[in-house]
Amino acid sequence: MRFESVRAIYDYGIKNGKMCFITGDYGHTKTEEFRSDFGDRYFNGGMSEQNIIGMSAGMAISGLRVATYSIVPFITLRCFEQIKIDVCEQNADVLIIGGGGGLAYGGAGATHYSIEEIAALSALPRMKIVSPADPREAYELTSQLLELGGPAYIRIGSGREDDLPVDKYNVKLGKAAVLKEGGDAVIFSYGTIIKEALKTSEMLKERGIDLGVVNVHTIKPLDKDTIVKESRGKRAVFVLEEHNVIGGLGSMISSLLLEGGLTPEIFKIFGVEDTWPKKIGSQKYLREELGISGNKISQKIDNLLR
Amino acid sequence: MNNLEEVAKNIRRKIVDMIYRAQSSHVGCSLSSADIWTALYFGGVMNISPDTFEDENRDRLVLSKGHGVSAFYATLSERGFFGDEILKEYGKDGTTLASHIVKDVLPGAETSNGSGGHGLSLGVGMAKAAKIRDLSYRTFVLSGDGEMEEGSVWEAMLFAGQHKLDNLVLIVDRNHLQDGKDGQRTEDILDIEDLEKKAEAFKWDSVRVDGHSFDELIPALKETSDKPRMIIAETIKGKGVSYMEDRGEWHGKAPDEDEYKIAMEELT
Repeated sequence: MRFESVRAIYDYGIKNGKMCFITGDYGHTKTEEFRSDFGDRYFNGGMSEQNIIGMSAGMAISGLRVATYSIVPFITLRCFEQIKIDVCEQNADVLIIGGGGGLAYGGAGATHYSIEEIAALSALPRMKIVSPADPREAYELTSQLLELGGPAYIRIGSGREDDLPVDKYNVKLGKAAVLKEGGDAVIFSYGTIIKEALKTSEMLKERGIDLGVVNVHTIKPLDKDTIVKESRGKRAVFVLEEHNVIGGLGSMISSLLLEGGLTPEIFKIFGVEDTWPKKIGSQKYLREELGISGNKISQKIDNLLR
Repeated sequence: MNNLEEVAKNIRRKIVDMIYRAQSSHVGCSLSSADIWTALYFGGVMNISPDTFEDENRDRLVLSKGHGVSAFYATLSERGFFGDEILKEYGKDGTTLASHIVKDVLPGAETSNGSGGHGLSLGVGMAKAAKIRDLSYRTFVLSGDGEMEEGSVWEAMLFAGQHKLDNLVLIVDRNHLQDGKDGQRTEDILDIEDLEKKAEAFKWDSVRVDGHSFDELIPALKETSDKPRMIIAETIKGKGVSYMEDRGEWHGKAPDEDEYKIAMEELT
């Protein structure tokens, strides 16, 4: 995903001479091409995220477009106030690309996890929040965010993820994608963990449960119409996210449904239960430990629906 | 320089008037910066006027010491960006004149600010944009001295020095006082000196001037070199109103009726 998101910046910047790319000491594959083809529109801003965000805003309100790129917690929470005032309040054309979304840097520990940034950033007026599930979505959504402009955050993975094992669908910013129609229940998810939701749906099928899967890659602004439509008439509504259960997509969907008068018999958010894992390990290991793997949630859903 | 003295006095009168009417806030650090504002907008330093504000090559001003905003509003009105009547809205319910600046709410307001330590990075971005876009404008950032305690300022200093942003000027309104009812000095809280040595270490030029002398301020602001420039403007908090001068209590206090009358008499 990292490569696809950066490739989208490059492709956009080749067409648009105002596009600048600033990394926060976070390597990527196209360094040489950026140096030769972007010239002074590309540079490493060093380990100074507050300055990178403030400076990006200053550049953006002076007629440029800027994408910044670093590891999620450093380029979001460390410089949160700069994002709030300099970027969002000033409505600056700054796209923040955060690598290593969720628990992607599993072995690195809590400093490198991002399980709270969606809660924080979604409270900022004007901020758009996107979390692609695979490289194809990363390219498409990065390109579409650049076309649209304004403050935006895109949460990507940490490496070479596979494309989702589903038929190709139209990736449109702001429009949730129904990956599987469901009968009894539906699960909303985003990011790479959506593969676990797809796995869950397959596993439950064998047990006679028809679980729909909806990819909410755009978390803000939320595609309320699709979420309400896909929830209506379902016995159970679930959310799966690699984020704290407080303040993520699950929180947004629960208030959306309640405000719309929709009260499914069962509603459950599967996410990180307001904790940091005591034992560390790979992303796969952590999902299992925290009970948000396909195996774990299919058991939980099976129990809940019995 | 007589005319400039008059302009500065008008700006000070407007500051006191706004803050008296609103009964809020930050009069001391607005008065300390009045001569700096006068030098920038009336002393032939900045290429900026209401007629050229849309010009891409206009010089940029970033107000980083956001709490000194009444001086900025007063300067813009004095310079003709908008009428004086707008100043009377300051502090009233429903006003767009926040007691910290908000971008685009008024003609002449380039940026939002109010939280310390943001302005220099914005200015760095504006100066860098001029380099990338091959534009000739200069960017001036007006910072408080207490604000120099913020770590983000030094990230921006590092970047500007490294990237040789010779089109960037940081003006430090060095009035030596920050918040604290007992008039605590920056030296007693977090000593930011030696600023000249710090500037040099960060690959900047610097000069310390009397921040109430146009003869010193204007040439220092006009001068350029091949590095970013720090102008350390030694000022007196509350300058121009005898009972406010160098008194910490006037950081966030507004004058009462009697005090207001005395201040306006002194500024006649």
